[in-house]
This record gives sequence, C-alpha cells and structure tokens, in this order.
Amino acid sequence: MTKAKATPLKRYGELNKRSAYLKRYWQLYALLALPILYFVIFRYGPMYGVQIAFKDFNLFTGINDSEWIGLEAFREVFAMNDFYITLRNTFMLNFLDLIVSFPAPIILAIMLYEVRSGWFKRFSQTVLYIPHFISWVIIGGIVYQLFGTQSGMINGVLQGLGFEAVPFLTEKNSWLITYLFTGVWQSAGWGTILYLAALTGVNKELFEAADVDGASRLRKIWHITLPSIKPTIVTLLILNLGKMVSIGFDRPYIIGNTAVREYSDVLSTFVYRIGLEAGQYTLATVVGLFQAVVGLVFILGSNYISKKTTGDGIL
Amino acid sequence: MTGNTRRGVMKRAAGAALAVLMGASLLAGCGSGSKEEAAANGSGDGKRVTLKVEVFDRGNSPSPHTITNNWLTQYAQKEFGDPNNIDIQFVPVQRSEETTKLNVLMASASDVPDIVFVYDSSVFYRYAQQGGLTDVGELLNEHGQNLKKYLGDETLKFGQLEGKQFAIPGKRAITARYNGYIRQDWLDKLGMKAPTTTDELYETLKAFKEKDPGGLGSKNIPMGMALAPSGYEPLIYGFIKPVKGDLTYSQRYELPLHEGFKDSMQFLNKLYNEGLISKDFSLDEQEEQLGKDFQNGNVGFMTEDVGQILYADGALDSLYKNMPDSKVAAVDAYTNPNADNKHIKSRYGSNGMYIMIPKSSKRSVEAVKYLDWMASDNNLLTMSTGVEGENYDMVDGIPVIKEDASQEIKDRVYNGGDMAILANGKVIGDQETNERAWTAGFPKQNQELMEQSIEIANTDTVGPIIFDRPIEAEAKYGTALNDKLKVIIVQSAMATPDQFEAVYEREMNDFMKIGGSELKKELEEALQEQG
Amino acid sequence: MSERTSNRIFDVVNITFISLFVIFCLAPFVHTIAVSLSSNRAITSGEVTLWPVETNWDAYAQVFSDHSMLRSLGFTVLLTVATTLLCMIFTIAAAYPLTKGNLKGRKFFLYLIIVTMFFSGGIIPEYLLIRDLNMINTVWALILPGLVSPFNLIILISFFKNLPPSLEESAEIDGSSFLNTLLRIVLPLSLPVMATLALFYAVGRWNGFQDALMYINDPQIYPLQLKLFQMVQNNMVTELTQLEGANRTPLTPEALKAATVIFATVPILCVYPWLQKYFVSGVMLGAVKG
Repeated sequence: MTKAKATPLKRYGELNKRSAYLKRYWQLYALLALPILYFVIFRYGPMYGVQIAFKDFNLFTGINDSEWIGLEAFREVFAMNDFYITLRNTFMLNFLDLIVSFPAPIILAIMLYEVRSGWFKRFSQTVLYIPHFISWVIIGGIVYQLFGTQSGMINGVLQGLGFEAVPFLTEKNSWLITYLFTGVWQSAGWGTILYLAALTGVNKELFEAADVDGASRLRKIWHITLPSIKPTIVTLLILNLGKMVSIGFDRPYIIGNTAVREYSDVLSTFVYRIGLEAGQYTLATVVGLFQAVVGLVFILGSNYISKKTTGDGIL
Repeated sequence: MTGNTRRGVMKRAAGAALAVLMGASLLAGCGSGSKEEAAANGSGDGKRVTLKVEVFDRGNSPSPHTITNNWLTQYAQKEFGDPNNIDIQFVPVQRSEETTKLNVLMASASDVPDIVFVYDSSVFYRYAQQGGLTDVGELLNEHGQNLKKYLGDETLKFGQLEGKQFAIPGKRAITARYNGYIRQDWLDKLGMKAPTTTDELYETLKAFKEKDPGGLGSKNIPMGMALAPSGYEPLIYGFIKPVKGDLTYSQRYELPLHEGFKDSMQFLNKLYNEGLISKDFSLDEQEEQLGKDFQNGNVGFMTEDVGQILYADGALDSLYKNMPDSKVAAVDAYTNPNADNKHIKSRYGSNGMYIMIPKSSKRSVEAVKYLDWMASDNNLLTMSTGVEGENYDMVDGIPVIKEDASQEIKDRVYNGGDMAILANGKVIGDQETNERAWTAGFPKQNQELMEQSIEIANTDTVGPIIFDRPIEAEAKYGTALNDKLKVIIVQSAMATPDQFEAVYEREMNDFMKIGGSELKKELEEALQEQG
Repeated sequence: MSERTSNRIFDVVNITFISLFVIFCLAPFVHTIAVSLSSNRAITSGEVTLWPVETNWDAYAQVFSDHSMLRSLGFTVLLTVATTLLCMIFTIAAAYPLTKGNLKGRKFFLYLIIVTMFFSGGIIPEYLLIRDLNMINTVWALILPGLVSPFNLIILISFFKNLPPSLEESAEIDGSSFLNTLLRIVLPLSLPVMATLALFYAVGRWNGFQDALMYINDPQIYPLQLKLFQMVQNNMVTELTQLEGANRTPLTPEALKAATVIFATVPILCVYPWLQKYFVSGVMLGAVKG
C-alpha cells in the first residue's frame, strides 16, 4: 500500500511473500489473538483512569466529567515532603533487598541442587517455601514475639547471657536488619523454585567432563551451574529493577512501626494514606503514574544495558 | 491398554470442559449491558421495588446463617419489606475495607446501596461536599416522624451541614469512654492509697517500679501502655485545656492544637525514660501485648475503654484465673493542671454512625421509611436483641439477655449491633437506663467494677465541638495528621530527656507544616463564626 | 586434603546450612499449629511456643462444623484449578509466538504487554469494567482480570528462548507447523517451568482475596482466603473501630484463628510435593535422546 509505484511484478512478488508468510505464521497470530484481546479489554480497558491524575476527581461526577486541572496535582505531590522521604525509603529498602534478598534464592537453589540425598532434597524444598504462605499479619505477630525489646525471645536470650537488649524493631538501623531478615526468610525458599526449574536443564555431561578434569565442587558450580541459570537470573534481575520504585504494602507496613517511621514509610504506605484513607484519588494516581514512568524507564534501561553486556534480555 | 484409553477420554473431557469454560468467558465478555438494562426496567414500574441496604460483614456468621440471609434479614423483610411491597437486599461490605469499597460503590452509581453508612465523619463530609448525598430533611418530615422523635434534635445536628440534613446519625447509647484500672493488691502490699491526682499517680508508679510489689523483676510494668487511643488519650486529656467550656476539637489529630499538649508529652517522656511504661508500646497498636501483659499480672496501672476488660472470659477474668490473689480497682488518676485540676477526660459525641442516602438512589423514600420503621415500636430492640421471652426478659425496664436460651435462638441476633444501625450500643431509654442495660450484660462478678468504671468515665468529661460546616482541612489532611500524631507521641516519649525539647519542636513543626497550621486556622475561624 | 574429604566437608556444610534454614521456616508454622491446639488461656499468657499447651481440638471441631467453611474450601479448590488452567493456556498461547524473532509486530506486542506491568487504570475504572461486563458476583470476576500475568509471561518467554534451538529447527525442517512444534516439542521440554508457573498462578489465586472483596457480594462464593481475612482482620482495626464503642464485636479466639489459618493453608501446601516430580533433573536429556 505504501509502495504505490512498485511495478506489478514486484508487487506480485511481495504478495507472494506475504501470503507465504501468512501461511506459515497465521497460527502464531491465532495463538496471540485471545491473550492480546485479554490485554486490550482487561488491562487497557480501565486505563482511562490514568486521567484522574490530571483532574479534580469527584466520585460522583465520574472520571470523564470531572474537571481538568492540568499539572496542579503533580505540583502538589512534588511539593510534599513526605513524597521525597517515602521515595527515598522505597529506593533504600529495594536497593538493600536487591543486594540481600535477590541473591538469597540463587544461593539456596544451588545449595539444594548440590544435595545428593533425594528425600532430604524433597523434604527441605517443601518446607522452605512454607513461609510464602503465611500472611504478613501473622508474620508480624511472630516477628514481634521474636524481636520485641521487652518481651521478645531473642532479647530474652541475650539478656540471659548478660547482654543489653537490642531494640530490633524500634531503632531504625537495627530495624533495617530485621526488615531484610524477614524478607529473606519469607521469600528465599519460594524464589528457589524458578531457579530449580532452570537447573533441570543443565547438561549432565558437562559435569562428567568436569569430573574427568578433576574440578572441585565450587569450580563446577561457578563454571557449569551458574552459567546455566544465568538467563533466568538476568530476566529476574531486569524485572526486579523495573520494580525499584514500587514496593509491596504489607511488609513495610506490618514490619514497620511508628518508632521507625523515618525508614519504614514508603510510597505504598504513603499512597494508602492519602489515596485510600483520605480519598484523594488524584494525588494517589499522580504517585502511581510517577512510579509507572520511572519503572518503565528502569526496565527498558536495564534491558538495554543487559543486552549490550550479556546478550540476554527480556525484549 | 485400558490406561491409555482412559487417558484419552480424560484428555477429551478436559478439552471439552475447557471449550465450555472459554466459550462462557467470551459470552460473559460480550453480553454486557443488555441484561442490566432489562433488570433495571423490570423493577422500575411502581410495583415491587428493591431497597439495597449496606451491612458490615465481619465474617462471623454462624452456620446456617449468611450475612445476607439470616434471621434478622428475614425479620426486616417480613415486618417491613412485605407489607410495603419492597424487597430488601443486603449488600455486605467487609468491615476493615469499608471506605475503599464504599468509594468504589459510590463511583459506580448503579451498584451503590440505597442506605450506606460510615463512622468516619471526614468521609461523610467528603461525600456531602462532592454533592453525592441526598438532603433528607424533607423526607424526614414526610416519612420519618418516628425516626425524628427517636433521634431528637441534638443527635440529628451531627448530620447537618449548612442547614441540610445530609446524614441521619445513629444514636449512641452511652457517651462514657475511658477510665483507669489499678492493681489494688499491689497498692495494699505497699500500704498505699489509690492515686487521685497526676502527681500521686506518678509517685505510685515509681513505687511500683522500685518496690516491685508483684516480684516480677524485668517483667514489671508499672503502667501498661499501647500506641492505642485508650492508652494515650486519657493521658493527653489530663493536660490539655478545653477550647471552650467542656468542649474540645472533635478529631484525635486535633489534640496537638490544644494548649497543654506539650505538657502531656513531657510527662510521657518522663514516664518512658524512667522505665515506668511498657518499653515496646510503640509497636503495640492493637493492644495485643498490653492485653497479654495485663492478663499475666505484669501491669500495675493502665487506662482502657470502659468495660473493655470486663467481658465474660475477658482480660480481667483471665487475670484472676492466672493470679488468684490479684485484685483490680477502677481509678480516676489524672488531674488536669490546665483545667482547675479537674479529672478531664473525653466523652463520645451523642451520635453513632453516619447513615446516608446517595444522591443516585431512586429509593430514597423507601430508605427513609425503612429507617423510620426501625425506629418505631419495638423494632430496634428486636433488631439488636431478639424476641422478648425468647432472647431476653424485661426486668425493671431493662432487657436482660436469657443466658439459657438455645444456641439457635442466640444466633438470631449474632450481628444485631450491625443490623440495628440506628443505635450504637443498646438504646433503651435515657443515658442512665442505657448504662444499666449495658452493665446488666456483663458477668455478675464484674458488674460492680463496671458501675464504678462508668461513674469515673462520666466524671468531668469534655465532648466534641460540632460545627455546622465541614472543616475542609480535616478531609484533606486528616489521615496524614493522624499518622503524624502517632509519630509525635512515640518520638516525644522515646527521646532522651535532654533532647525532648528539640525532638518535640521538630515533630510539631512538621505537624504544622503538613497541614496542621491550615487546620488550626480553619478551626479557629469556624469557632469565631459560631461565637 | 583429598578430593573426597573436601567433597565431604562441602556436603556437611551444605546440609547443615539448609537444615538451619528449614528449621527457621518450619518454626512459625509449627507454632501456628501449636496455637491452634492450645487453650486460649495458655495462648494469651504466652505459654505456647512450639508445642500445644492444654491440648484440645475444639478449634478444629468448630472449623469443620462450619458448613460455609467447607463449601468455601470446595469452591476455592475448583476456582483455583479452573483459574490455573485458563491462565496457563493463555500464557502459553501468548509466550510462544513472542519467542519467534521473525514474527511481525512482535516488539509491538511485547511493549503492549510490558506497559501493563506498570500502568493500570486504578480501582474504580476496574470495578466499572467488571460491572459493565456483567461479571459482578460471578466467578468470572475472579478469573478473567488476572488471566495473564506479564511477569509470568516474560519468564515463560525467557525459558522458551533458552531451549536448544536445534530441536525446533529440526522440527521445522521436517515441515512441522508452529502449533505442532509447540505441542510436540516445546511444551514437553518445558515441563519444569510450566509446573512452576502453574504453581505461581495457583498460589496467587489461592492467596488472593482483594478482588473478591470488591467484586463478590454473595457469601456463597467467598473464597477461603476472604473468610480467613475477615477473621484475622476482625482483630486488626482497633483504631478504626474506636467509634464503634459498645458495638465492637468480641475478638476471634486466637486458637480459632490459627486453626483457620492451617485449614486454609494446608491444601495449597499439598500442591508442591505433587508438582515436585517435574523438578527432577534430566527431563531435557531424556527428551533429546527420545
């Protein structure tokens, strides 16, 4: 269509090519049709809600008929001190998680892979993912019982040994450790599942060859096991980087408390406070939009870098 | 062979099932709109209409009841619905997610119940401000005479904004709120009298700490405290000066705007640093730890909601079970130096929840009629307590629950408190009758303490100021300030004494900056207008 | 140090470390079980740690005598199975074509999907959509909105891409159609990751209740986790419920809460051991040879 001046012969060739392409690829489009329809209806259908960020949203007049206010709400959010504090904390907690909680399941998966006893492997895998099923409300209660200053079991032991009680939950730096610890505890086992799935693809012959060369266990892990799950690691790393400015609500909210608010107040709790509790949907949507744009930039950026450096990427 | 065939059959069956599922999903996707319209038209023409009423779902429906179909819903249908040709449809809203869900329902217009309610006044103001509520003034005159009589002008005022009746407030049976409890056996051991002033309280707590009458060592908690209103509000009210007469600003986060607030924080700081209150109080927003500490006999003094520890098998009963020698007494400990050393404490406003009829509702007349029905005859009592002679007996004008009724009969009114939306607590008659009725619901052995608690809680109370226009800063900054209030309390308490000044000023500054000053200005203006 | 001893040391260290982690993970679960079997007095006075005190089965008796609980369990199992099946079909159908570099529009579709990881319309437009599709109070409101998780989709694409290309190429030379290749070669080779994603979807559905909170008004089709949430959350709103004063409902006993947690958790915990066989190494090699 765009090439109106093409000669009939050329056009014939193109048509031929196109029909050959379609003949071969129509099945793929057919497969894609329903999922894409899903995305269009259920994901893009409600997307008009994004305009709330630019409107003085009134519940009763509706999204479309509410008054446009341009960037006023953005100005308001960007002038809020709490916004910057919660943004900083979100970055900080996510960054620490990236350093501590991201590698944990990789290490654990490799360790599990190295276990030879079949029953122990099966048993420990099954147990390790239990914490994922315990809701944060209940974890919160347990954390409190363990780490409390006056009534916590750990401090009970410490004091019994003659040490000072450590305010694990009420002093902000100690709290960070508690926060990371519960994160690792809750997600490391669950996180191994994907890596274990990837490890099933390792070519056993490589190990046999390495044995012949007399390579040590650690060498084999470094040269065979790790490279074989590298694509999975890279994929998950990119997806994680895309989430650097978004953070779940439950963990910081429930593990956090007023005494460490300076660190535990994050964007999700901020949005909850202004958006859901105070009903300021416009401000909440602005924050959401900000997170979305930053997240998209991060994921595309890290994908680009990853492709350049490792050759793996998600796109 | 058989294995293979069976697998083949299974595969085909699974395939067929999937095809059905997917087909249905497509149908569900395509067949929008039309059905809905049909339904709407069907119910439009004057005949039998549907009235949708919100109901809190707390997930405590006993089998075989469900939240939308139980003895009470059937009762309302039979007594009110059927005679008026109305189908009452109850729409459950999870208690803890009520505002989120209500916002969504309000935005959807067509799905919103005809009767909705919230406890949070700022939500009510917001809805009114955005023009989403029906002014029920005229409707009340026309269809709600019983309702008006039941509520009275004082309570109705809570639902008025700029002369319009945008909400029908429920009525609160009892305005008593907090009082203190102390371990009498500890006092006896030390030969001390119950403290009656703030200074005496401090001396008592110090004695509890130093002499450890419970012999608890490191577990000893002279004063139990949680980051919950029943812990810090009585303390703060023990220092702040009422705005005028016996009135204070109505919202909790407006406490820092009162004179004397700093004194209360200073006192809290002293208590914390001298190890007199629970160390981890900042973590205990649900009062779980406090409850445990109290029941285990580690707590010397604490303030609580009236009656909170006195329920059957409640905290007090289990304390007595755990420590048979213990004895708890009610005390009125705080005296307010900024208010003539009176025992200032807060009381509830006389209203319960805000009951509203959305503007989009086409059944506002029926909605008012329903509420009017509930307010007339014995209906409210039946909705909250059940049938006379089966669920309760009238003794001296007070309904006394029959403890020996069968479980089935008791289960009739399992959510009576949530269905009888016009009353908060049991509204039988005047305040005193309600108090007697309330006390009668407690176990025999705790009733005396309950009476004392109510008496203390009713002493020198201050109540909320009601403005006849919404304070916009409340709707806008309320939640953020509420959050900040907790930060102020915790940081002020946990600062070392020499840093208290700096920490308090910093947090207070922050409080004013994130909306506090705007709120203050607006409140003062409203106060002046009111004269 | 000989190779054998170093191997041995590695194993000991490895197993010790995993065992420690196992204990950490197991303890809270055991604690919850202990609570569910203890008397309320023992629980509130903090005597229960890892072993029941004043053991009784009352809490379980109460859970199992509640018909709405049992019905909810049955409903949730069916819902989870149906959701997982549909999700897997849609995810596979989307993932496979997007691994084909020659597919025209591939990048466009990928961007279309990735954008939805970050941008969403928000709670109100989503509700209005479900309402306009007439799905309020139907199971479809719990199944369709979460049909394809972009996260899972990208993971599946990445796994498909990392299959040895030689296998597919040889099939293509044989003239196999794409659909044929997908069903005959790609899927059998991807059983481990498919088991993983099925687990992700199943667990996500099992643990999810936020959507039911919004879309379901009929107690007959409350998922189990919603009922659990009601019970746990009942105790968690002291600040909210301050104004309720005398209308505050009595708290759910701790033992009953714990028993409900166990009741709602154990069924989904049973899924993993059942899927575990797909994580056994060597699937790939077998496939290559066979």
